[in-house]
Amino acid sequence: MMIEISGLKAGYIKGSHVLQGLSMAIDKGQSVALMGRNGMGKTTLMRSIVGHLQASAGTIRFDGADITNRPPYRIARAGIGYVPQGRDIFHDFTVEENLRMGLLGKPGLGTQVPAWAYEMFPILEERRSQRAGTMSGGQQQQLAIMRALLGKPQLLILDEPSEGIQPSIVHDIGTALRRYADTQGLTVLLVEQNLDLVSLLAHHALFMENGTIVERVDDISRLHDDPDLINRYLTV
Amino acid sequence: MDLFLSIGLDAVSYVLTLLLVTLGLVIIYGMMNVINMAHGELFLLGAYTVVALQAVGAPFWVGFVAAPLVVGICGLLIEQIVIRHVYGRSIDTILATWGLSIAIKQVIIILFGPAAISIANPVPGSVSIAGVDYPAYRLVIMAVAALLAVATYLVVYRTSIGLQIRAVISNRGMAGSLGVNTRLMDRATFAVGAALAGIAGAVMAPIMSVDPQMGVGFLIPAFLAVLVGGLNSLLGAVVGASTIGGATSILSSVMAQASAQIGVFLLAILIIRLFPQGLWKETR
Repeated sequence: MMIEISGLKAGYIKGSHVLQGLSMAIDKGQSVALMGRNGMGKTTLMRSIVGHLQASAGTIRFDGADITNRPPYRIARAGIGYVPQGRDIFHDFTVEENLRMGLLGKPGLGTQVPAWAYEMFPILEERRSQRAGTMSGGQQQQLAIMRALLGKPQLLILDEPSEGIQPSIVHDIGTALRRYADTQGLTVLLVEQNLDLVSLLAHHALFMENGTIVERVDDISRLHDDPDLINRYLTV
Repeated sequence: MDLFLSIGLDAVSYVLTLLLVTLGLVIIYGMMNVINMAHGELFLLGAYTVVALQAVGAPFWVGFVAAPLVVGICGLLIEQIVIRHVYGRSIDTILATWGLSIAIKQVIIILFGPAAISIANPVPGSVSIAGVDYPAYRLVIMAVAALLAVATYLVVYRTSIGLQIRAVISNRGMAGSLGVNTRLMDRATFAVGAALAGIAGAVMAPIMSVDPQMGVGFLIPAFLAVLVGGLNSLLGAVVGASTIGGATSILSSVMAQASAQIGVFLLAILIIRLFPQGLWKETR
């Protein structure tokens, strides 16, 4: 198991839980899409895994080790890369400085951006000395993903990466990520509403409702073939 | 002409020393959102480190080197014992650090007594600059302060450590999720900010009367400098310290000390009213 969550409870107000005893697991090398309507607790789950939000009950095990409520930098160093909703790039830094931030926090990765980063997303090399905040949404998303990948994570967490980005760019990003994950054996946890990106990137899908996982779909093509599934968990 | 030159030199030396105190405040505030009311007492501790070492017969320069180390360690302890428990609670932080400043002052009074102590000038004599005889030691102060301010700037804007510090300032959660040890960064910045105030206290000790109240005399103008220059930016600290320090020196050369203070406060109020974000807006 790459990550194993059991009985997780977490929320923003004391005594009130968004996550109500959630359990899930992802095998090494698998890509899983987490789906569900807004407000069901997807982002809350991501924030709990990376340590931005304290869990009040339950455990999160990563590669066998208990990482529940550890500080974010320890979780990152254990091997979890995080691309948050809204990307959270450093707007005032150059593209290259943002990428270097993916390396500096991890001992042993050096300080220079390796060539493969620019080969995977060439636009980042073109814009390397430009301020990151001046780039388009799609470019910023590539930057945020690459910044996370440079830290050599075993598990990559992506929260709504397609939000506000043109479909063709979403497709390119998805294709590049799929190739990277296959060659590097990367495990991916993807929160996403965009079915194209999900079917491009994920092997399985989990559906979330009211703070728990309510259904697992092992065959990702069912998303297209079974409109009932979409109606039940996604349409408002 | 000579008068202008000597007023100008006085202003520059005051601005540079004020800058050291202000830089510590800005770094600590930017990094941790902690308004450190005890920052003036860190300046005080630097000066009294020199006093203590002079009392046992050590030369001034030993005290000068020891001050940032002693005050830096005090900074670490303060962060560990007080500050880390009140992160994210700004009112509590102000109260806690205010209490701390009173405690430090009282400890100093117990150890050294309430009276002013003077420190022998380590570089007596004067240097002639364009026909004006200017105290040599004041030039030393300027050099020390300018070097430290430039060094701080270079560390923050030109090194990998500085990039990580700025990342934590800009987005603490994300920096942590990239593996940056935010806890270590907090401790280190607090210690360095404290050490800067410590050096300022040590270097100013020979030209001030060293007494337990001397910290406030630097804390208030440093806060004004932060407000006038703009938070969260080292260049803002430079602009703020220049404005407040320059105005203070120039006004006190032409009018009584009390009137000069009133003038500086009025100027600060005016600037804050017209530029609520500070004179220097971070552009990069």
